[in-house]
Amino acid sequence: MISKSKSNPAAVMERLVFNNRPAVILLTLLVSLFLFWQAAQVRPATSFEKMIPLKHPYIEKMLEFRDDLANLGNSVRISVEAVDGDIFNAEYMATLHQISDEAFYIPGVDRSGVRSLWSPNVRWTEVTEEGFDGGEVIPQTYDGSAESLEELRSNILKSGQVGRLVANNFKSSIVEIPLLEVFPDPEDNSRLLQLDYRQFSHQLEEHIRDKYEQQNPNVKIHIIGFAKKVGDLIDGLIDVAMFFIVALGITFVLLLRFTRCIRSTLAVLFTTLIAVGWQLGLLNLLGFGIDPYSMLVPFLVFAIGISHGVQVVNGIAISSSTSVNPLSAARMAFRQLFVPGMVALSSDAVGFITLMLIDIGVIRELAIGASVGVAVIILTNLIFLPVVVSYLGLGKKALEYSRGSETRESRLARRFSAFASARVAPVSVVLALAAAGFGLWYGQNLQIGDLDQGAPELRPDSRYNLDNDFIIHNYSTSSDVLVVMVKTASESCSRYPVMEAMDDLTWKMENTPGVQSVISMVTVSKQVIKGMNEGNLKWEALSRNADILNNSIARADSLYNSDCSLAPVLVFLEDHKAQTLSTAIAAVEDFAAERNTDDYQFLLASGNAGIEAATNEVIALSETKMLIAVYAAVMFMCLLTFRSVAATACVILPLVLTSVLGNALMAFLGIGVKVATLPVIALGVGVGVDYGIYIYSRLEAFLRMGMPLQQAYYETLKSTGKAVFFTGICLAIGVATWIFSAIKFQADMGLMLTFMFLWNMFGAIWLLPALAHFLIKPEKLYAANSQQQATD
Amino acid sequence: MHESVMSARSICKRSVLALSMALPLLVAPLAAVAATESASAHSIQSARASETLLLGITQAGKRLVAVGERGHILYSDDAGDSWQQGRVPTRQMLTAVFFADEKNGWAVGHDALILHSADGGESWSEQYRDTGLEAPLLDVWFADERHGFAVGAYGTMLRTDDAGASWEDIGGELNNEDGYHLNAITRIKDAGLFVVGEMGLMLRSADEGQTWEEVASPYEGSLFGVLPTQQADTLVVYGLRGHLYRSDDFGDSWQDISLQTPQGGTLQFGLADGALLDDGRLLVVGHGGAVLVSNDNGQSFSVSLREDRFSYAGVAMRPDGRLILVGQGGVHIEGSMATP
Repeated sequence: MISKSKSNPAAVMERLVFNNRPAVILLTLLVSLFLFWQAAQVRPATSFEKMIPLKHPYIEKMLEFRDDLANLGNSVRISVEAVDGDIFNAEYMATLHQISDEAFYIPGVDRSGVRSLWSPNVRWTEVTEEGFDGGEVIPQTYDGSAESLEELRSNILKSGQVGRLVANNFKSSIVEIPLLEVFPDPEDNSRLLQLDYRQFSHQLEEHIRDKYEQQNPNVKIHIIGFAKKVGDLIDGLIDVAMFFIVALGITFVLLLRFTRCIRSTLAVLFTTLIAVGWQLGLLNLLGFGIDPYSMLVPFLVFAIGISHGVQVVNGIAISSSTSVNPLSAARMAFRQLFVPGMVALSSDAVGFITLMLIDIGVIRELAIGASVGVAVIILTNLIFLPVVVSYLGLGKKALEYSRGSETRESRLARRFSAFASARVAPVSVVLALAAAGFGLWYGQNLQIGDLDQGAPELRPDSRYNLDNDFIIHNYSTSSDVLVVMVKTASESCSRYPVMEAMDDLTWKMENTPGVQSVISMVTVSKQVIKGMNEGNLKWEALSRNADILNNSIARADSLYNSDCSLAPVLVFLEDHKAQTLSTAIAAVEDFAAERNTDDYQFLLASGNAGIEAATNEVIALSETKMLIAVYAAVMFMCLLTFRSVAATACVILPLVLTSVLGNALMAFLGIGVKVATLPVIALGVGVGVDYGIYIYSRLEAFLRMGMPLQQAYYETLKSTGKAVFFTGICLAIGVATWIFSAIKFQADMGLMLTFMFLWNMFGAIWLLPALAHFLIKPEKLYAANSQQQATD
Repeated sequence: MHESVMSARSICKRSVLALSMALPLLVAPLAAVAATESASAHSIQSARASETLLLGITQAGKRLVAVGERGHILYSDDAGDSWQQGRVPTRQMLTAVFFADEKNGWAVGHDALILHSADGGESWSEQYRDTGLEAPLLDVWFADERHGFAVGAYGTMLRTDDAGASWEDIGGELNNEDGYHLNAITRIKDAGLFVVGEMGLMLRSADEGQTWEEVASPYEGSLFGVLPTQQADTLVVYGLRGHLYRSDDFGDSWQDISLQTPQGGTLQFGLADGALLDDGRLLVVGHGGAVLVSNDNGQSFSVSLREDRFSYAGVAMRPDGRLILVGQGGVHIEGSMATP
């Protein structure tokens, strides 16, 4: 394949690059200067919209009515728990008072909406002979005495706050603080500030949790809410940056062992870091920030860069044995490796580009970032690195070792070459088929979506999720909400037919498996109508009278919009498993199909469960599409390179086995197919194909020389086997550090990528020769080669 | 810090009356359209129906029958351990149920609905509906399987003498100009029929409901229920905020019965409904988990407050002496009740 002809592109590139070495170095350094300056300006950016499929009809509806539903959600709930006893003691109430006051002053808090037992807007009401009687839950006369605590207890019972502001077991109560995304600067009221989630989250920790848990040892604080979750996510993101340093250190040690040369080790690390810097700089130029997903890209670029750098250094070391100086060795290696390197990196890029098929912003940015990064590696590690090494040369020890290995018999390579033998190959193929069968069978358990309780972004045992558990178990609310939007003409949301239909939907949903409870303006309306009728249960129903109905929803703020044209129905789910979501969604769609009229429509969907349902649908649809695309792309690249179906099969089939086993592994570990794990498949296949390409192209070259298969494979392993093995380890280490991320989906990505990278390497070394034994005819290759040489 | 607001309901009611006077021609056809729509809807069969708001429970022979929101009618042949759901042609809230014998029963509810069952509560058909009332019937009582009364909001009183084939509105004949709600109706032993309602309203009839007279009330708040006792001319009435009164002369004179909670205070919860047991005991249930028992024909009651603090709307006794309570959260079976 690699022709010696002077006119081939590798030779042209070689002359262009090596005849202008100072210019190449200078240009690289200038570009680096600019791009590193750009990279320094990359900021963490977590945009909610980028994580959701914007084109999905549910999301389109959600965004259309976003302003109408604005006050439906962005709040933080602080649950203050009394460790011993219950909330009815003076010390507890004093601490709760201080916490409510303190929370009130945190920047970004919508002060008018802060609610706790101490807020004047938390009231009790009671029906008397004269009408309603009511007051503040904590009376003005409260003094912490036994009598006022008893009064408080009876007021709480009358207030209907048990299960909402007060836990069902009276051992904790909640301070609820709604947030403003944009708020006036406390120091300069004319200026508007954007809420900084990370800073806000830290303030909650410092000023609320740490402070009051220290001050009153009988109190434990639990905090949940979107803002807290995002704050924790960004913290996790910053921790991950530390992992990069760890990966760098491990890679350095391994490189040194592999090359036995500090000079080339540093050269590879240095050029690869340049690639990472360029990629980040270009990202910033393109206007992207770094989010928890695209955070993966620098790690990937680093790993891929190192692995190609290793191939280059390895090539130069081998060439050195026949070259007079480092320059000619570098030139020879460049000529040999430029084309397979280009092919491998192009297949990576093509694999990544298929991710663009998925209509989710973060995945698309990941695709763009990774493709850019891979393109950068072509410049830095295929071109710049050999030029650098041509100046530096390689250490003496490395050269001696390399020279020795040329002639030395390698027992390991000899043993592994048996994979290509007639005795082992059939066993391997049978084993592979059995593994594939098992993988396909077990992989059927693979589920779409997030499978864990609580906030899926964070680990189940993270503090946030423990707090979330506490609140779910002690209060009558769940954190998984599917919002159905009921659209009517202006000022019509409270008409009887609309409310009646909402009530019917409520009952239908309450009879749907996985639904915990349902809340809408109907819930409030019925309670108020009952209240207007002396609390008589027999009136806890919607009224056909328009005035009564209108009056009844006056206090249901946030359960309909300002002009009464949109009302949300909040469906609380037991969890957010895909099955639960799709069952609930199907029930709503049934209902909408049956009951929608020109006057009112039931629309899906908002709420975290609605968004997840839409995301799951997009993921389920994209999964097959993306698999087909990525395999089509790498098959095309292989066909183009090797011009042989048999060769393509040898390279691709081990990848297929890895994908199948990867699915089974995900099913086994309880990891669902989701925004975070879907790209892993494309990345795994895109990068995994490298091994096959490197090994097969060498193998083919030896076969063309007329060697029998096993001997050719032995030679292949001896020359590139070590490099391929090392590449696999490098790639795996680059992503394996992620397994320790505080962010659950990053850990899932790290785990799956590590598996894919290692297993793809193993598959290429073990299964590729076995397949070649059955599919490739060495005589034909030799004959073709002899013929070609004859005609030359 | 305390404040009182005028009853919003009375404001609403006035506007309802005004509206129905001004626009009877306009409203009627609209109501008729809406009525045909919901008429086609049967209540949904649901395993959770016995956990939803139930508002009345009675016996049809040995069978228990309970009614509640969303057109739920449930019946049990094993004293409340398991419940079946009847086929009911409405999704409206049903507020009360009465069986004249073990087969023939009537249930009433919102939209002034009256439903009839001839098979002990398994299937139901509609006998009467007045969507234009925009309010519920609240109680139903039958002397036998032909003669009965249904009472409800805004002073509605309906009478039938043909097992419900036709219903006549006799609300206008009552001395109830303000149209106060009629909340409950029953027969007092050896005396006649008794009705209680809003604002302390009491009506009685000594001639099987041919004529009604107003009774001077000891209370100006709403009365939600009335119970006969095994003693002639003797009854108790009860309502808002733990008020309960007893008369042993068919309402000529009244005695205020004081109700003490186990904690020692005066009962403040509204009382909704009750039952006269075969052994003569009286049961009354209400808001806040209140359960009252009397062993002396209503001269005194012992009060207990159930842990769950649910509001109850109906009560029955199982053969094994345990109480079946219905209300918020559906059916609750109480632990064995101590007999003094």
